[in-house]
Amino acid sequence: MANKQSAIDKSKPVTLGFFALMKLGMSKNAEWPDTEVFLDWIYWSRQIVGFFLGIIWGIIPLTGIIGLASFALASSGYVYLYCSYMNIDDEEHGGIWEIIKEGFMTNFASFLVTWIIIYSCLHFDDNLAVKL
Amino acid sequence: MALQIDALFIVGISIFTALLGEGVTYLLVYRTEKYIRLKAEIEKQTKKLEKKKENLGEALDKQQKKKIERDEERLKNNNRDLSLVKMKSMFATGFAFTALLSMFNSIFDGKVVARLPFIPISFIQGLSHRGLAGSDFTECSFIFLYILCTMSIRQNIQKLLGFTPSRAANKNSMMFAPPGQFK
Repeated sequence: MANKQSAIDKSKPVTLGFFALMKLGMSKNAEWPDTEVFLDWIYWSRQIVGFFLGIIWGIIPLTGIIGLASFALASSGYVYLYCSYMNIDDEEHGGIWEIIKEGFMTNFASFLVTWIIIYSCLHFDDNLAVKL
Repeated sequence: MALQIDALFIVGISIFTALLGEGVTYLLVYRTEKYIRLKAEIEKQTKKLEKKKENLGEALDKQQKKKIERDEERLKNNNRDLSLVKMKSMFATGFAFTALLSMFNSIFDGKVVARLPFIPISFIQGLSHRGLAGSDFTECSFIFLYILCTMSIRQNIQKLLGFTPSRAANKNSMMFAPPGQFK
């Protein structure tokens, strides 16, 4: 009976609210109801990390290939370290490579937008566009 | 207009166009009964197929193989139907955005909207420096910033509103799309 019940539940897509997802994501050895939910958490937490990295990179400012490479390293490193610290069984979610790839392009685009805007706002003349 | 205001204005434009695009898609596609039915069916079939493959493993007899092939065929057909349903709105938003983009392009023509903290690789320079005079490739054109904003904002808005298909269904639709499209 229990088996039947769990089979029914697994066939339905599991969706969690933002706070429930955050609570689950912050707890060590959490029981993830579904790979989709876990990857959603990785996606959103990565977006937040990418946004803040963009702000920091823009304030310092980090420029050129060093800025780009260090972002790729920091973003992938965050996912890798999160999985090892939280004791996530990566094989259960498609392997560590799949997890690291999750949302990378969107994360990269968000980082670039934040980095470019903060860098332009803090380190350039207000009337540059007019002057040029 | 100052550089900073231009850059923030472009972020605003891309938020607006992303919301508009999703709104139009909602009206034309997401709320239709056909889309809801097809999406639910695809999700269900994908999960069922994955589970079946997982349970049976590598050792399949002829009958089981045939059954899985039949399920895959059904899923492929549903994915094709879903793409057709989405196409209607893709055309509508495509036309609307081309008109909007050309309007904004003329407003920001020749204007530096931001400063890039890096020099883009040569094949991206055509985009990042489009319509700008001089050879300082750290100057950013409207179109480059707009594309970056759209890549980030539209995807996030779609995900936030729950309009993206599940990863398993997406993976399967990508796997099935090429033969289905050219048949």
